[in-house]
Amino acid sequence: MKPIAALATLAGLALAMTLAGFSLADDDEHHGRNGYKRPKRLAVPSGAPLVWKEECAACHMLYTPGLLPADAWREQMRTLGDHYGSNASLDPAQERVILDFLVRASAANRLPMEPSPTAGEPPRISQTRWFERKHDEVSEAKFAREAVGGRFNCVACHRDAEKGDFDEDRVKIPR
Amino acid sequence: MKAHWIALACCLSLPALAETEHPLLPGYAAQARQADPAFAGFSAERGKALYFAEAQRDGKPMSCTTCHTTDPRQAGKTPARRKVEPLAPVANPERFTDLKQVEKWFRRNCDDVFARECTAQEKGDFISWITGLK
Repeated sequence: MKPIAALATLAGLALAMTLAGFSLADDDEHHGRNGYKRPKRLAVPSGAPLVWKEECAACHMLYTPGLLPADAWREQMRTLGDHYGSNASLDPAQERVILDFLVRASAANRLPMEPSPTAGEPPRISQTRWFERKHDEVSEAKFAREAVGGRFNCVACHRDAEKGDFDEDRVKIPR
Repeated sequence: MKAHWIALACCLSLPALAETEHPLLPGYAAQARQADPAFAGFSAERGKALYFAEAQRDGKPMSCTTCHTTDPRQAGKTPARRKVEPLAPVANPERFTDLKQVEKWFRRNCDDVFARECTAQEKGDFISWITGLK
């Protein structure tokens, strides 16, 4: 009898919260109040230069520019010689084209630049406050799954992440 | 009868053609000679040894094989999980056709693995080995 009563209370509470406009899954609402939301414009703008796609996606998934503010991209491009432990330097003309695109394409992201807690490292998308909030229900064990690989690998769960599609309804965490 | 001999001679010369020097090697040879007047040619064997040479990076063993696998005719994977197309031209004919690309990847990857640049001698040794793989 007792577990059923507890369950009923829980169900009632969930219903009440839903009616009150809260959602258990989406935390945008109550975090949005302090003016700090996740970047909204994430689709890759048209006219993206080929060199951006080819060079960045040679080593990792193509992170859409809207994920970071322009200053963070400047920092990324300034430190390509030691890019999270790898030498990712390009010839200066190519770096220029890529940086110009990243700055232009991330203009809608007006979030403050958040430095990486690791000294000497450029900012990390996965260490922004919004990223942590959006993933606070995802356990460390899930991020560590072989099929996921880590926080860097958006495409493991957000299939169309490289097109800027991070819709929660399409998230599928692989086993 | 004479025609037969000519045809035979043509067949015999084919393997010789296949072994002509890779187009990128003369440039690296000139650089190597400039660095060391005693330069005595490239060695595929040394190139192979470079591919498998292990260095310690952040306490972890690292080599070309870390990303390119122990068989460069197979596809590999970057630390960030991107597929790396095979490095050996026998499996991926685009490899070692564009000097700019070749220089870019030697510059970055020698730094990543050995924390230094590779010499012209090493690059030529390596190209001799990788382009000769069947």
